[in-house]
Amino acid sequence: MKAFTFVRPRTVDAAVAALAETGGAVHAGGVDLLDRMKEHVDEPSHLVTLLDVPGRDAIALEDDGGVHLGAGVTLAALAENDVVRRFLPSLAEAAGQAASPAIRHRATLGGNLAQRTRCGYFRIASFSCLKRGADACPVRAETGVQETAAVFANEPCASAHPSSLAPVLQSLGAQLGVQGPKGARSVSLAEAWRAPEKGVAGDLALAADELITAIVVPPRTRPQRVGYEEVRQKAAFDWALVSCGVRVELDDDGRVSDASIVLGSVAPTPWVATAAEAALRGKAFGAEPIAAAAKAATQGATPLSGNTYKVRLVEVAVRRALTRALEGAKGGAR
Amino acid sequence: MTRQEPPFEPAPPRATPADHATRVSRRGLFKGAGAAAVSAALLGARETLAREAAVADEVRTQGPGLVPITLRVNGEERKVQVEPRTTLLSALRLRLDLTGAKPVCERSQCGACTVWLDGQTVYACSVLAVEAEGREVTTVEGLGTPSDMHPVQAAFCAEDALQCGFCTPGMVMACAFAVKQHGKDLTEDQARAAVAGNLCRCGTHPHVLRAALRAAKGE
Ligand SMILES: Cc1cc2nc3c(=O)[nH]c(=O)nc-3n(C[C@H](O)[C@H](O)[C@H](O)COP(=O)(O)OP(=O)(O)OC[C@H]3O[C@@H](n4cnc5c(N)ncnc54)[C@H](O)[C@@H]3O)c2cc1C
Ligand code: FES
Ligand code: FES
Repeated sequence: MKAFTFVRPRTVDAAVAALAETGGAVHAGGVDLLDRMKEHVDEPSHLVTLLDVPGRDAIALEDDGGVHLGAGVTLAALAENDVVRRFLPSLAEAAGQAASPAIRHRATLGGNLAQRTRCGYFRIASFSCLKRGADACPVRAETGVQETAAVFANEPCASAHPSSLAPVLQSLGAQLGVQGPKGARSVSLAEAWRAPEKGVAGDLALAADELITAIVVPPRTRPQRVGYEEVRQKAAFDWALVSCGVRVELDDDGRVSDASIVLGSVAPTPWVATAAEAALRGKAFGAEPIAAAAKAATQGATPLSGNTYKVRLVEVAVRRALTRALEGAKGGAR
Repeated sequence: MTRQEPPFEPAPPRATPADHATRVSRRGLFKGAGAAAVSAALLGARETLAREAAVADEVRTQGPGLVPITLRVNGEERKVQVEPRTTLLSALRLRLDLTGAKPVCERSQCGACTVWLDGQTVYACSVLAVEAEGREVTTVEGLGTPSDMHPVQAAFCAEDALQCGFCTPGMVMACAFAVKQHGKDLTEDQARAAVAGNLCRCGTHPHVLRAALRAAKGE
């Protein structure tokens, strides 16, 4: 790892000012960032750490029934906190399954959303990579290692977005609280992503001197069910091959009035299964529409020769997540 | 040592559904958020300077060269010089001669470097040594000694829970954390989950689980 100056602001303002001044990188738990620095994929001259900022790990139920999560909340806290477990059960579940206990003690929610792709070509400095400035994505080449790559929107770059919390939060309509030199702004997570571009490593559309301060999940307006499922190669201590967060709103007759189905690890950013959502709307929520929606979720897939199996996993993950939502009548109250 | 620079203040009281009085305002999360931008736009040069001085007060920098720090490891204060890029794992092994925690992957992907930071398991390869200042570090050496073993260490011997031993210090720290968390009620599933982030290439896992359960039951 190249030597760097460790900048330790005690307020968000000071952190933003330090980022603007030094051009440094944000450091939270360091699980993702230090890995890239050890590989010399990133060599920032300054790390601006959020560890000394008070209140960064606050979890609170808002007056309107929304839930506020500080960007510095750890995955362990998300999995164990009573407010999260009761009101955001699909998020608590996703957080509790991610990585390992020791990582969950360190890894933060902000860092989880801003973590970079696990694509091996991106993460090893000696390979070329579109996100690191090359003209083409080597995953897409005939010789590319494609197993875990994206199966949707995988042109010009086939990297898969690794966060399993992002799809859940997006299915719940979460908003990102962002702070920069010009002040604070709020952006819906659904609109916070940017498609891969040559030379752009991050998947969140944040300026280099902007910080995520919080993630806010709005209150539900109607009865709804939620669910989370993931398929992984190992039972633990690994990223998901496919993850899926769902939220289904029901009207008084038990018909689906709205549905949100978001997949992780299948596209360069979290992927909204719009055809699956449409397949559910207006239907009495049950096994048949769930099967149809799961099938519809694979529409538009453009798998590479090395990862056609992932399309089948998309169907499985969507079916299981929706089935969980159907069964979790009480648990998935929000 | 008293904590001079707490990494962060305790979180505000967590609101529970039944505890509406302690709800925290959305905007109150980070005090002063937005103030810098307002100051730049509205205040005169003098105030801006004062504001910049205040911001400078709100930042501390370390490095890039050697920084003297005091680590509290296994209940003892140890002074060391580290660069900010030095991981806690390197500081423990190379500066403090505590070689229990092992460097294997150095990428948060094996668990051989598992130690406790403020009583919770972390991978020392992904923690910077400078971050650990003012916090309590516990390594396998601090858990117990050959003549006065921690129950988990004794159970590892009794259950023959190691072969080459490379994963063992991490396994012991992960199991001892689970025993601390769950006490004698520790279940096999909980023990399994506790060592999910500790790889063993020699295949000791069944013995490790037995050792964790034995230690929990105080046998
Ligand atoms: C073995 C292993 C298994 C894993 N399994 C999973 C899994 O199943 N699911 C999953 O979702 N993740 C998984 N992860 C990833 C892990 O959850 C992330 O690496 C972690 O959450 C990153 O958080 P951090 O606080 O350590 O971030 P850091 O490493 O400190 O930062 C990560 C990135 O985010 C930026 N950043 C951090 N905080 C902010 C902020 N507030 N505002 C703006 N930018 C910010 C940093 O600049 C950096 O680029 C796994 C990791 C490992 C090592
Ligand atoms: S050496 Fe730290 S997890 Fe492998
Ligand atoms: S005992 Fe050899 S790696 Fe576990």
